[in-house]
Order: sequence, then C-alpha cells, then structure tokens
Amino acid sequence: MVGTVSLSTKNREQKSELRTGNALLGLLPIAAGLGIATLMHFFLPGLIGQFYARIVTDIGITIVLAVSLNIVNGMTGQFSIGHAGFMTLGGYTAATITYYGSMFLWDSAGKHGGFLGSGEWLFIASCVAGGLFAAFAGYIVGLPSLRLRGDYLAIVTLGFGEIVRVILQQTGKTIDDVEDFKNAGWAQLIPPPVGGAVGFDGVPKYTNLFWVYAVLTITIVVAYRLKGSSLGRAMISVREDEIAAQAMGVNISRQKVLAFVMAAFFAGVAGGLFAHERGVIISPKDAGFQRSFDYVIMTVLGGRGSITGVTLAAVLLTALPEMLRDFEQYRLIVYALLLIFMMLVRPQGLLGIHEIWNFWQRPKSSVKSASPEAQV
Amino acid sequence: MSPPATTSSAVQSADALLDVDQIGISFGGLKAVQNFSLKLPRSGLFGLIGPNGAGKTTVFNLLTGVYRPDCGQIRLGSTQLGRGKPHEITAAGIARTFQNIRLFPNLTVLDNVRLAGQLRNSRGLLDTVLRTRGYHQEENGLREKALNLLEIFELQDRAEELASNLSYGHQRKLEIIRALATDPKVLLLDEPAAGLNPQEKRMLAHSIQQIRDRFQVAVLLIEHDMPLVMEICERIVVLDHGVTICEGVPSEIQNDPRVIAAYLGGGLEEN
Repeated sequence: MVGTVSLSTKNREQKSELRTGNALLGLLPIAAGLGIATLMHFFLPGLIGQFYARIVTDIGITIVLAVSLNIVNGMTGQFSIGHAGFMTLGGYTAATITYYGSMFLWDSAGKHGGFLGSGEWLFIASCVAGGLFAAFAGYIVGLPSLRLRGDYLAIVTLGFGEIVRVILQQTGKTIDDVEDFKNAGWAQLIPPPVGGAVGFDGVPKYTNLFWVYAVLTITIVVAYRLKGSSLGRAMISVREDEIAAQAMGVNISRQKVLAFVMAAFFAGVAGGLFAHERGVIISPKDAGFQRSFDYVIMTVLGGRGSITGVTLAAVLLTALPEMLRDFEQYRLIVYALLLIFMMLVRPQGLLGIHEIWNFWQRPKSSVKSASPEAQV
Repeated sequence: MSPPATTSSAVQSADALLDVDQIGISFGGLKAVQNFSLKLPRSGLFGLIGPNGAGKTTVFNLLTGVYRPDCGQIRLGSTQLGRGKPHEITAAGIARTFQNIRLFPNLTVLDNVRLAGQLRNSRGLLDTVLRTRGYHQEENGLREKALNLLEIFELQDRAEELASNLSYGHQRKLEIIRALATDPKVLLLDEPAAGLNPQEKRMLAHSIQQIRDRFQVAVLLIEHDMPLVMEICERIVVLDHGVTICEGVPSEIQNDPRVIAAYLGGGLEEN
C-alpha cells in the first residue's frame, strides 16, 4: 500500500476550521505588546533599579538584532555575518538625524520633550529612517547572495561590515555648536560630521524601555507571522533545498533578497535604539565582525528559524556577561566553549527548528481522518 | 477507472502540448544531450529510457530550466519556454519529481504540499504581516487544497508529520503529490519506482495512469523498470550517450536491435 494511490473519488465534505481575518484582531498582539512596554517603562526601573533596567533595555535591543538576523540565517539559510554592519549603519543614520535635526529644529542637540513628546517622535522617525537606509544596504548586499553560497557569501557579508567600519572611521568631527552647524557649508558636511574613529558623541539619549519593547514587539510579531505564512514557507524552502524550491515555483532570488532587506531593516532600527541609549557612544568598531559574531552565535545557539529559541539565546548571552562583569575578558573564551559544547551535544541549537510551545504541546497525530472509507 | 482518453495516434499531431525541438547541451567537451526532440500530446503518457548515464535526467533538467539548453526550442502549449528560470517554467505548467528524493525534510507533509500550491497566488509582505482578510482567505484555500490532495493519495493522516519522518515509499508518493500541487500540465517523473518492491511497483503503474486521467496531465516517465514502462507508456523514447536512438510504441522498442545493443552493450550482429 506504500506506493499506491487509490484515488478516492469523493470530495472532501467538511471544511477545516476556517480562520477569518479581522484587521482589529490582527493588531491585538501589537497592542498587547505596546501595553506591556508602557508598563515596563513606568514600573520596571522602580522595581529592579536602574542598573538592571539598563540590562533589560540591552536585552530588548539584542533580541531585535538576533531575531532579525534569524530571518536570513535561520529561515532562509543564507549565512550572513555582517549584521552589526547593518545595525551600525542604521544607528549612524538615526543619530545623525536626531542630533542635527534637533539642532535645526530646537537649536540644541539635547533631549526635547518628555515621554511621547516631540523629541521622541523625531527619535523614532529617525530610527525608522535608519532602518530604511540599512534595508537599502541589505538590498545591495543581498544581490551577491543570488550567486554565492555558504562560505563565500559569509565572506561577502563579513567584508560588508568591515567596509562600513572603515568608512565610518573616515568621517569628520561632530559639529557641537549650533551656530557653526547652521553656518556650515557643504564642504564641512562632506565627509559627514559624525565623529570619525572616536564615535558619535552627544546624541540625545532618547532610548527607553517603552520604545525598545515597542520595536521588539513589532519585530517578533512580523517574524512570527512571516514564519507561518506562504512567504515564510518559501524562505524556509530555500534553506531546505534550493533546487527543489525552484522546481516548486519559488523565486529563490526574490526570497533571498527579501530576507536580507527585512533583516537589515530591523537591524537598522535596532541600531537607532542603540545609538540613542544612555551610556552608549556608537562608534565604527560596532560594525566590526565581533559584534556580528555575537548575533550569529545567538541564532546558532537558539536554533535555526526558531524565534523563541533565538530570543532565549539573546537573553542568556546578553544577561550573563553583564552579571559576570568581573570576568568580562573571558567572555569570548566562554562563548567558544559554549559553542563547541552545543555543537557536540545539540547541533540543532537549543530549540532546533521548533518554537518553545511545541515542547509541551502534544504532537498532533492526525489532522483529521475525514473519510470513513479511507483505510491505511 | 476510465481508459486513457488519448491514444498514441495523436502523437504526431501538430498540437502537441509539450513540443521539444532539437535541444542540446554540452558540459565542456561532453555532449550530454544532442538534438533531443519530443512531441508530448495532451494527456499523453510517454517513457524515456536508456542505460545509466544516457542523459535522461539531463533532459529533465533542460525541460525544467535547471540547465539552459545550448540550442533548440521548448514550447508548452503556446508558450515558448527555452530560456526561462526554473520557477517560471513550473508556473507555466511543467512539474517534476526527483530521482534522489528532494523533499523539504524539516517542513511538515502539509507544508510541503502547501508550498507547491502557493506559486500562483502569493500574498505580499504587507498582507502577511497585517494578517488581512485576503491573507486568511488565501491561506485557508491553500490548506484546503493541500489537504484535498493528501486525502486523494491517502496521506492526510500524516499531514502534520515532518516529511523526513515518512517511509521511503511515502516520501516518493509525497514528491508526486507536491508536483501535482503546482497544477501542472506536464508531469515529469524521474524514476518513481526506484526502491519500491514489485507489489508497490504494480500499484504505482496503476496510480500513474490514474493521475494522468484524473488530473488531466501529460506524463513523461524516466524509469529503469522495463515491464512497468512497457505496460503503461504509450510511446517510448530511448536515449544513449545523449542521442535519441529510437522512438516508438513499446512493441517496436522491445524488438529494436539498437535498443538491445545499447542495453546489452553488444554489436548489432550479436542479436
């Protein structure tokens, strides 16, 4: 009976449970996430103190980066190790807009307005602009991925991060004085005055728990909805078998570029959050391969394509070094050992291809055996 | 089941569904396939046979766009396919299975079929992210269609399992289902009987004919199992060293000295 096809002639009568779309229902998870972000913003620092609140902020930004990288590395199977390049590009773009935009609008590069005030709206708009710019770069980097595979693509993306780093080192000093900025000619704006090798100092510190977790909510909702959709399946099919994917009508070029663009967009937005974080001076070395590698490790440890797995790995790998600050110089050694250990005992990552709830959900044995006469 | 709608008399008619005209490809100095021609009528069931390395799978790869032919024309209905990309050719209506099974092992059986079904109606990113009404309608439609197909082939009970967990025979079956989910006009089967036992082969032979009738597809079959090919194919093309050495109805092929020579390696006089 194995090779057989006894074509049952009857039609399926009963329909599977149809989920009907409702625009409001579709926005529910985002609204819930925004609610949680608001609560975190107002109550978390009081509960756990500023130091830990700062770590929670860092974790949020890192999750955005790891989950977005997972769209390329995990779902689509294109090995990119230039994610920090996209992040830094977005970060510099966003920082430039808020820094000089604030000078232009309010004659000062300082913070303007309170929670959800005009300054914060400029900030979040600049983050989105940073994301768009990074997405454009993602498109450019995505193009070679159509011809390159595996190691070769990895080297291209690695090179991209290094190019971003070197270019940013060649930029000019920031203009601190409002009058100087307003009187500056084009000559002083090329190369862009974003701090050069020492980093972009003086960026208004708008990043707070609300915005970080609002962006995180949107990133996760988008990634999750992508994964379960036709588009996501097409991406996963590229990872599984490119030849078969093509034969099934998947435009693999389009899927790869789309994956790169989406991942770069969220990385760029996360870079904007990072650049405006208190205690951070975004600098060219942030684009280097070390930071990129941190995110790659998170996707590998979490499991290819598992959003919850990667989130878990991002939380662990951000929180642990902070908790063990005294041993920071050993961080990379610990990472290396952790990776070797994981590759030996669990090469598919913490959660493999599954989401966390798949583990206490009993495997569905059958969808339905609808027809009474369908025997095995 | 009803008898085959089309008979071999339609073979030479000008309105062949798949019209392959003198295609060829070389890899370096090796002429893998030369001057391959084929007229496959609507609902035809043809066989493509030949010794190992004769270029049968290369012909499939040329027809599906994996390789671009150096020369020649491929026409499907009124569409010229020659230089199309694989996904465009699949969308135009040529689907295939693979000699060495190429399922998506980490996707479920249902998702394997759904993926193949979605090629003509993929929703954009915005619909996907916002989960609009149109998105849900389409996903429901895809699911329904995939489950229907699985039910026809009695695989619906395995829908939520990973494709890699299926038995070998079921994996072969799923490959055929997946190819059918792309709504093809022409189905290319690359050694579907490989690794099946005699009992399973007999059922497969029956199935292929049923698929042809029920889904209204023309079938081109690569197969090494001669009794199976001779039993179900209306016409057979024999390849050797990339060259068509013989074409005809099964009885002609069986008695053709060139074919026997190609398979047994002897000279003509030995027969």
